[in-house]
Amino acid sequence: MLLSIRNLVVRYDRVLAVQEASLACEEGGCIALIGANGAGKSSTLRAITGLVRPSAGEITFAGERIDRLGPAAIVARGVSMVPEGRRVFPLMSVRDNLMMGAHLRRDEAAIRADLARLLDRFPRLAERIGQQAGTLSGGEQEMLVVARALMARPKLLLLDEPSLGLAPMVVRDIAFLIRSINRDDKVSVVLVEQNSRMALRISDHAYVLETGRVALSGPSHELAEDDHVRRLYLGVGAE
Amino acid sequence: MTQILIDGCVLSANYALIALGITLIFSIINLLNFAHGELFMVGAFMVYYVYGVFHLPFVAGLVVAALITAVIGALFEKFFFAPVMRSSTREENSMLLAVGTALLLDSVALFAFGHEQRGVPDVIPGVMQIAGGFLPYQRLLVLLVSLLLVGVLLWFVQYTRPGRAMRALAQDRDAARLMGVNVERTSMLGFAIGAALAGLAGGLLVTVQGISAGAGPAISIKAFIMIMIGGAGVVGGALLGAVVLGFAESVGYSLLPGSETYLLIFVALILFLIIRPQGIMGHPWG
Repeated sequence: MLLSIRNLVVRYDRVLAVQEASLACEEGGCIALIGANGAGKSSTLRAITGLVRPSAGEITFAGERIDRLGPAAIVARGVSMVPEGRRVFPLMSVRDNLMMGAHLRRDEAAIRADLARLLDRFPRLAERIGQQAGTLSGGEQEMLVVARALMARPKLLLLDEPSLGLAPMVVRDIAFLIRSINRDDKVSVVLVEQNSRMALRISDHAYVLETGRVALSGPSHELAEDDHVRRLYLGVGAE
Repeated sequence: MTQILIDGCVLSANYALIALGITLIFSIINLLNFAHGELFMVGAFMVYYVYGVFHLPFVAGLVVAALITAVIGALFEKFFFAPVMRSSTREENSMLLAVGTALLLDSVALFAFGHEQRGVPDVIPGVMQIAGGFLPYQRLLVLLVSLLLVGVLLWFVQYTRPGRAMRALAQDRDAARLMGVNVERTSMLGFAIGAALAGLAGGLLVTVQGISAGAGPAISIKAFIMIMIGGAGVVGGALLGAVVLGFAESVGYSLLPGSETYLLIFVALILFLIIRPQGIMGHPWG
């Protein structure tokens, strides 16, 4: 397993956000965490990247415990996160935003090559390379934060609600992009989504979180057929 | 008229160092540095001792001024501000702490440097005449070195890796951490550079105006005025504020008697803030 989480507990002051959650993502895999607001999905991601320190439990990445490391050390080991809400650096140019993704890398030639490759892949970003990131549209900003995360050359990409607030057409582009990153670039993916339909379609394994616990898990195509999931998360059969 | 322009340019360039320093600290650590004027004063005294008393080269004095104030800034950040800002949720706490560091430096300075007004001999004697105005070489030196330092700082922030990390940190703390920016080290570096800019400004201006241990608070207030005019946390605003204040002073001192200049500056500032509370280039808060 590339990433494995055992009995994770995340606590903010007196609120328990994640209670004894266990999940795993194999090398090259794409897993989805779905669930309602406050189910503990984002907190799980924040614990993986070291933005919050778990109160209990164990997180291992590529065979190494990472749950006591800070974000910089975790990024350096190959975990990149695209945070919720398109957190571009608004007053910095598109180029500087992308270069921030490579902040910990020192292989200047390879960084330049990666930048050129990403600009080929995202022509919209190439057109706006000198523009302030805050002036981009929502879809472009989402492209930018994903591209920025790829500039770190991650082994594992964590995406927090990438489709939130985007038009359906753009959501389709993003879904296509995530799939391509997973299949073509061989980057393992953990996808947190409230858009369960999209998440189940592009992931191969999924976990349903409810009040901080894993309520259900299994291959995504099976969960998509599950009655409980269909009723609660896919809106099928609801009144 | 020419004289007003010349004096305005010299003051503006020097004030730009002060304003950029306090802006750097404000944007990266989210703290209004009340001790900024005190760091200016410490820098001025370093040049006074190294160059004026021990007769070492002026440049050596500037280097010592920059290093000592940078170390003071870094230590303040690491041992005072970082722990307090980590544990407290109220902004007043770090503000009170900043006032405390200012008082601390004031008292130490009075004890260490005494209360006399100190000055240093000119580094380059002589006066240049331009279109009916006088520009002593000493002031020309202050002007050129200040402009050079402003340029170096802007280049550093815009084009280097740590400079980019500082901008990222100022714009989105969590996103910067997710890029692998070491927040503790970058905050310390930002405070150190901001403090060193204040120290360098003092080290330069001591050659023109002299210095005393009590000069700190007045300089801090000037720094606040500049960022209020320009807009807090914006580099362009800091530069603009410096130019406005530098020229307001040079006009005021040549046309008005004594202390009336600052009275008018304060009145104008109050009126200005009623019309535009976020400063010329700042964004409205909230």
